[in-house]
Amino acid sequence: MKGDEEATGGSTEVGERRRYELDDQGFDEVPKKYRKFYRRWKGPGDELAPNEIFCPVCRIVIRSPREIRPGDRIYCMACMTRLRAVRGPDGRIVAEVEYT
Amino acid sequence: MRDFLDAYSIQYWLESCPQGYLEGTEYGHRPGEKEPELLLDDPTLREQAISTTVQLVVGERCALAASSGLINAAPDEASRRFLATQTLDEARHVEIFTQRLYDLGVKKSELEDVIDAFANPNLVKFAEILLEKVDKKDFVAGVVGQNVILEGMAFHVFEMMHATSEKLNPKFAHTLSGTIADERRHVGFGENRIGSLIQAHPEKKPEIERMQRDMSYYMLATFADRFRDTASREEVQRMRREAGSDGAGSGTWQGANLADLEPEEMERLLADTILGEFKKRLARIGIEYQTPARP
Repeated sequence: MKGDEEATGGSTEVGERRRYELDDQGFDEVPKKYRKFYRRWKGPGDELAPNEIFCPVCRIVIRSPREIRPGDRIYCMACMTRLRAVRGPDGRIVAEVEYT
Repeated sequence: MRDFLDAYSIQYWLESCPQGYLEGTEYGHRPGEKEPELLLDDPTLREQAISTTVQLVVGERCALAASSGLINAAPDEASRRFLATQTLDEARHVEIFTQRLYDLGVKKSELEDVIDAFANPNLVKFAEILLEKVDKKDFVAGVVGQNVILEGMAFHVFEMMHATSEKLNPKFAHTLSGTIADERRHVGFGENRIGSLIQAHPEKKPEIERMQRDMSYYMLATFADRFRDTASREEVQRMRREAGSDGAGSGTWQGANLADLEPEEMERLLADTILGEFKKRLARIGIEYQTPARP
């Protein structure tokens, strides 16, 4: 995914990242070859996996083939927003929008 | 880093939208899908569906006028191209919701009279505030009003309607899901484009904040009118029973089971969700959210 291209530089954590096999979860709002990198958010109780991050702009879940770490840059193709992963106050990894 | 609009192209829009989630649809839903018979046969429910759909048509006509009007006010070519695709999205929304009125039995010759009769005056005022900015070719205020406020509102209204329709009215739910997908791009453009422009035009902030407060007030007034003049929870439950749906696993939005809520509780949930999102979105682009009066 575009996110994967960008989810390399900037990570502030060390150690090997876990890798994930991605499957198509029915998100049809981006061109076919990118669909497996996204899924619909199921609401407030939706638990995100370590390779997933919530896009605060268009409220979908972005999925990476690798564990997401703070500092990773991620692209949300559904709303064309550039994001950066940061650790939130509660310790969870969240996305911050980067305007250019 | 490249400008975010570099990633956007008409080709991307074609692959995502007409060749993606809209492929094979008919006025936004699957071919052959119909409105539920119960809705068509029950005069109260039918009139309520017509009234709700009229508000969608009014909102989308406003969005069509705004997005097309902003094309020539845009400061760059990429924004003009984006707004051209948004114009087509909004025109499609006007068409599919108008088609729903026809599907609900409104005659073509009566369309404008029905819209005039059911259009909520507060929603009309909401639209007028936005279109005044567009008429003045005020791109920054126009995009905030259109792509952050109007689209931000539509996004959540459609999501909530989708949750209530998924089991009861798959045709309408499918129509809504395509519009929700469109709104994702529109709110993304609003935040991304204005996030950088507002830094260059800080003098615009007070005027935009006033516009947000006024538009938010009329949005809340529209919700108040709609939810306080709606079918009771008992009527909706009756419809659900007659449609053969027990509601299990359906109708959940923002963590709430909508079937359990009274209309005023739904109004509060919708209003609070939208205003909460406005606050977050505006903070991200450097605009201070103004709390509107509660109607």
